This record gives sequence, structure tokens and C-alpha cells, in this order.
Amino acid sequence: MITFAGVSKSFRPSGGGRPNHVLRDVSFRVPQGCLYGLIGPGASGKSVLLKLIVGLIKPSAGHIEVDGQDVVTSSELELQRMRLKIGMLFQNNALFDHLTVAENIAFPLRRLTTLSDDAIKLRVDERLAHVAMTGFDERMPSGLSGGQKKRIGVARATIAEASIVLYDEPAAGLDPVTSQKIFELLREEQHAAQATVVMVSSDLDRLLTVTDRVGMMYRGQLIFDGTTREAQESLEPRVKQFIHGLTEGPL
Amino acid sequence: MAAEAVGAWFLEIAETTGAMTVLLAKVLARLVPPRVDARELVKNLYKMGVRSLPIVAVTALFTGAIMVIQAATIVKRYGAEGLLGWGAGFGTLREIAPLLTALMISGRVGANNTAELGTMVVTEQLDALRVLAIDPISFLVAPRFIAIVSTLFMMTLFADALALLGAAYTGDALLGVSPTTFYNGLTSGLLNFGDVATGLVKSVVFGLVIALTSCHFGLATKGGAPGVGRAVNATVMASAAGIFVLDYLTSFALGD
Repeated sequence: MITFAGVSKSFRPSGGGRPNHVLRDVSFRVPQGCLYGLIGPGASGKSVLLKLIVGLIKPSAGHIEVDGQDVVTSSELELQRMRLKIGMLFQNNALFDHLTVAENIAFPLRRLTTLSDDAIKLRVDERLAHVAMTGFDERMPSGLSGGQKKRIGVARATIAEASIVLYDEPAAGLDPVTSQKIFELLREEQHAAQATVVMVSSDLDRLLTVTDRVGMMYRGQLIFDGTTREAQESLEPRVKQFIHGLTEGPL
Repeated sequence: MAAEAVGAWFLEIAETTGAMTVLLAKVLARLVPPRVDARELVKNLYKMGVRSLPIVAVTALFTGAIMVIQAATIVKRYGAEGLLGWGAGFGTLREIAPLLTALMISGRVGANNTAELGTMVVTEQLDALRVLAIDPISFLVAPRFIAIVSTLFMMTLFADALALLGAAYTGDALLGVSPTTFYNGLTSGLLNFGDVATGLVKSVVFGLVIALTSCHFGLATKGGAPGVGRAVNATVMASAAGIFVLDYLTSFALGD
């Protein structure tokens, strides 16, 4: 379970000046085994929220818990232990430039498990097949398109079968067919592992077909938190305009 | 206005020095007991050390030769052929070999190290390591740190030998001073182990400067690709300045 209670985050510009309030008093809860979709216009604080969950940045105020562990007060060593059960896909994929595709995907297993080379290779091949990238194992990330990098990022984020998985735009740059396949794959895996998933995506049509709950961020505030059906039927003007892609409205 | 600028500059220097000290402490904490990624260490030793051999060899050979060319007029005028080995050895071992090797390694290895770390920072690869429960200091920084310091030490030894070789054969070609005479001058007793050690101590100090500046500015990179360029620039400037300042201080401390 992931819990946010009154979380705020500000960044102070390096050259001085007024702080940039990225999150303001955000409170919500993602139950165990829930696929939570996080939506909202650009620069509304979604990616920062994901980084707060995993403890990459600390909040300016508020309280964050992941499976009962206080992320805010945990030491770096405690956070490292917590991260063993977390998988994450970054917005820019964050593939390691100096490793091949296969080495990138295998990286979590090589570093964190005692699996044999053969077992790891089998898992890597299976992941590559899942994201329709079979045969790309010896390629370097620099030789891949944006969409291909995204798929390798998804394969790496899911290979360790983490109990909590965070996806930042898993379908950005993908064609509609691959995008649909990726969403279905992520949903299947989440079901199979009963993982807790937080997914940020701008592809609302597909995102809302797989989520259990949805939260909408707007200017650093969580303005909606409810089930997917409640989100689709919401009369809150900003939520309604964003979900239905209306040009008229307060956004 | 001027006082404000000086104050801001002073604060920036203090902040950078403080951050480098913290980084050094973090790296040292990973050395006892050793928590350094062995594969990364070997890879960096090859990339930074072995692949620097050609450029260091060329630099060292020509440096030795240039020293003899500069000394040629005086050696001829005073017939001091017997002192050529001592003169070349004194300058090379104590000063020229460690200094020029450090500047070469700073340009080739330090700048590249900053660019690599900076790119990893701006493309979130460092964050990805942390999410994978891997300590970036143990995995990335400490191996590079050790590799840079070791590389500079080994390259200085290599440069010492090649510079003297270059000097000896240039002395023979230009002044007719046989390599045997050159060798006898070198080993006549005017030079001792302390002269070699001084250069090697300097190489370790310069290695620490390059490792600290290149890792610090790489890890502190902000602002995408232009930020990587700024970080590389800062590394080259800070390394060169640090090398000269610490060369002065070390020469002062070790001078006899």
C-alpha cells in the first residue's frame, strides 16, 4: 500500500528567487494490488510524485508510507532495502548507455538475485518477446528508436516481478497497436503478481481501460481521487474536460 | 555590487569544496571494507589506463627530447655533457613527467568521466540505479576514482621511463652524448630515490584532484546537454587550476 498524507514539494531555483511549488498538500492512498492511474496536464507534478514514492527526492512537508515504511524518515540504506521490491519505468527510459539491450534488461536480476546465467537469459528472452523486441538483445540503446527504448524500459521494470511498480508514460512514442499491447501486458502482469501499480500516462483512452482507480493532478494539487468509473462520470469541470478531451472548459 | 559578486563567488567555491569533501568521504567509506564493483573497476582501468598509453607515450618521448633541445646550448657551451642525464632526470622525475601526464589524463580521462557521469545524471540513469537498490557511489564513482588515481600513478612511471629514453637518444643525436654517458649522469648519485618518490607522490595528489573534480562536476550536472558541456568545462578548468596549485604546495612540502 502507498499512502500520501499532506505531501508538498517545492524546488528552490539554483540562482535564487521564489520557490517553485510542484506539489501542494497531496493526500491519497493506493491499496495493495491496485492499478492506480495518475493523470493530469503536463508539469502538474505527476513524475515528481513517482520519485517521492521511491524516495529519490524528499518532500518539503507531509508523510509518505510504502508498505508501512516511512519513506521520509528512512535512511538511504533503509530506502535501498525498500527499493528491492519496487520496479520503475522512467519517463526518459533511463537505459544504461554502456550496456546492451539484454544486459539492461538482465541488470536487476544480475545485481539483486543469485539466478544462473541460463535462467537469466531465459527470462530476458521472455521479456523481449513480451514487448515484441525479440532479436534486439545485442543492440546498444543508442541504436534504438524512442518507442523501442520505451519497450526495453518496460521489460527491465517488470523482469524482477516487483510487488510495487511505477510507470512514467509507458506508452509514450509507441504506435497504437504496440501501445495497446503494452497496456494489456502490464495489466496481465499486475493481475498475476497482485502488484501495486502507479501508472502515469497521457494515453487516457488506453489507460482508463486498465486502471482500478484514478487520481488527477492539476497545478500540483490532487483534484480527483476515485474509481475509474467515478472519474469517467465525474462532473468536476476540470476532470470532465481533461478525461473527455473537451476544448471548452476551465483548463 | 562588486562585494556581492565576490561574496557569491566565495560561497560557490566554499560550496564546491564542501561537496567534494563529502564525495571524498563517501568514496573512502566504500573502500573500507571494500564495496566497489570489480567489473566496473577493471573496465575503467582498461578504458582510462590502457587506452591512454599511446598519448602518454608520445607526450613523454617528445618532452624528454624537448628538454635536451632546450639544454643543448648550455651543455655545449660549458662542456657539461656528463650532467645531461642528471639535468634531464631531475626535471623529468620531479616535475615534468607528473605534471604533463596529469594534464594529459585530465584532458582525456577527466573530461570524459565528467561527460559520462553528467549524461547519466541528466538521462536519469543514476536515479534508475538507485531505484534498482544499487549504490551509485559503489557502482560508478568509487571504481572511477580508483581507476583515475591508479592510472595516473602508473602513467607517471611509464612517462618517467619514456621521457628519459627520449632525452637520452635526442642527446645522442643532437649533442653526441652517448646513452651510456647519459645513463652515468643519471645514476651518478646526484639523483636519488627521493626524486622519483616526489614525482610519484605528486601523481597521486594530481590523480585525486582529477578524480574528485571530474566525479563531482559530473554528479552535479543540471540542465540537459548544455549542462553536460558546462560540467566538462568546469572539470577541465578546476582540474588544471587544482593541479598547478597543489603542484606548488607539494613541491614546497617535499622540497629538500
